[in-house]
Amino acid sequence: MVVLRQAERTVASPGVRTSRLGRDFWLGYALTLPAVLVVVGLVAYPLGYAFWLSLQDIKVGGQGQFIGFGNYARLLFDSQSRIYGLFWNSVKVTALYTGGALAGKFVIGMVSALILNAQIRARHFWRTLLFVPWAIPAVVSAFTWKWIYNDVNGVLNTFFTNLGLVERPILFLADPRIALWSVLVAAIWQGAPFWTMTFLAGLQAIPRELYEAAAIDGATPLQQYFRITLPLLTPVITVTVMLSAIWTSNAIQYVYILTNGGPANVTETFPLLAYHEGMTAYDLGIASAIPLVFFPVFAILIYFLTRRMLRQEG
Amino acid sequence: MAEAVRSIERARPSERRILTWLAYRNRGYYVLGYLVLLALALWTLFPVYWQLATSLRADVDLFSPTVTLLPRVLTGEHYDKILGPSYPFLRQLRNSAVVAAATTAISTLLGAMAGYALTRLRFAGRTILARLLVYAYLAPGTILFIPIFVMMSRLGLRDNLVGLTLAYLTFTVPFATWMLMGYFRTVPIELEEAALIDGASRWQVLWRIMVPLSGPALVVAAVFAFTLSWNEFLYALVLLQKQEVMTAPVGLSAYVIGDQYYWGQMMAAATIMSLPPLVVYLFGQRWVIAGWTAGAVKD
Repeated sequence: MVVLRQAERTVASPGVRTSRLGRDFWLGYALTLPAVLVVVGLVAYPLGYAFWLSLQDIKVGGQGQFIGFGNYARLLFDSQSRIYGLFWNSVKVTALYTGGALAGKFVIGMVSALILNAQIRARHFWRTLLFVPWAIPAVVSAFTWKWIYNDVNGVLNTFFTNLGLVERPILFLADPRIALWSVLVAAIWQGAPFWTMTFLAGLQAIPRELYEAAAIDGATPLQQYFRITLPLLTPVITVTVMLSAIWTSNAIQYVYILTNGGPANVTETFPLLAYHEGMTAYDLGIASAIPLVFFPVFAILIYFLTRRMLRQEG
Repeated sequence: MAEAVRSIERARPSERRILTWLAYRNRGYYVLGYLVLLALALWTLFPVYWQLATSLRADVDLFSPTVTLLPRVLTGEHYDKILGPSYPFLRQLRNSAVVAAATTAISTLLGAMAGYALTRLRFAGRTILARLLVYAYLAPGTILFIPIFVMMSRLGLRDNLVGLTLAYLTFTVPFATWMLMGYFRTVPIELEEAALIDGASRWQVLWRIMVPLSGPALVVAAVFAFTLSWNEFLYALVLLQKQEVMTAPVGLSAYVIGDQYYWGQMMAAATIMSLPPLVVYLFGQRWVIAGWTAGAVKD
């Protein structure tokens, strides 16, 4: 619905219509000033400050010493330093974690959206129900999953042991081979509803006539999906993937609470590494440099997203 | 189904055969669809149910070697404990509420002001400002948390709810502004022009016409600001170290003493923490879902 309204709006009013009455100049600045102050003082300035910190050898509570790109050199090239291995491991883990989460959320979101868009009974009820994980605080669901995965009394292990499927409990969060998968399942559970919602909005904007015509021409539902649905959803999918890539790779709750980066750093994504370096190793220079190495990737994503989001600004 | 039958009756004989076949085929898809839907519902609800069930189980039941779907012994003891005077949880809930309320009020107000100016007024730098706000909304908190930690330390705002509220404005103000801009653009401009011709000031137009007309959008902006700040974890974890100023999410993660998990109490705390955003979502879901998709899908 929203998408339809958006589309109508774009057609009806190209660009923004501003009234030519009155002097808007001062009022415009007065009204935007508070929001601009927030953005400049709490986003832009800290961003520059993060870069400045990353150029120093600085510990919590200590005086900083300017070392140029020394921190970056240690992270990226100095195979002798402790942080080098940790950093490249976090690059790998972040890529795996983000890729896995996006794939899982895409599949669940797409299937949910397709079903909710079909003519099922009590659509409203099902939609409300499938959207519940979004409203649950991430910290809460992280702890709930931690309890579900518990090796001694967790419901999964108790259930499997009682059925005689496993002899010894599965160490969901302590076994390096499966820890990342366990974390992913929890993250997908929480993140899928957002994808469901955006896909559903996209599906509802597709005219029904297209499917009717295709059906009469004898297209099977699968053909209809790949020839009509998927191509028309592509813009929505692109935006969702980009947004979710930024949010997922930067999310810290699940890895922090479920495994705290362990076992053997197999779940240490880069935000968690930055947190550990800054808050437990007290090295603010390295902690600022770690996320900034990824900044170019986010900058590109943000650039393309902004272009799409501001398309109707005229 | 009735619709399908009608369209089959309307169809030409040659098409009728195909459509009847499709309707028959669709039965299979129906059954499959409902089965998948049921699986999705189970997957979605199980963790929520398990959290609730755990919070109501006696410890004896929690640590038994067999698992039952329903609690064998219902008890409110975990709730009593967690809300009792020996735990800081009640205070932490209050901290969460204070920060979420302040963040919500400030960001909705600033968002309405800036959103109005950026959609209706003409001044140099308007598009640049709009662009800046979207950049700010998308800027990841992981890049900002270290500098903000250092800034708040220097300002003496660590372990302080004012400092935390300021940190939360980094994502709620851009989001509220962005969402309200989208809504204000849909309000017909003629009303304002008429009022301006009648001698109203811009300021009056904003508060007498725009704000009353934008009730639902303001509610959505407020709901989002509330949910985001109620659930936020990273800034709270970094900025709050004292138990009495912690918000509930950080408090919950701090209950783990060594390797000791009191699961009953933790799940009770978790259930209480889930209620405000869940209630807000269930009551405002129609608007929330609309706002949600408007914010993300602009095509």
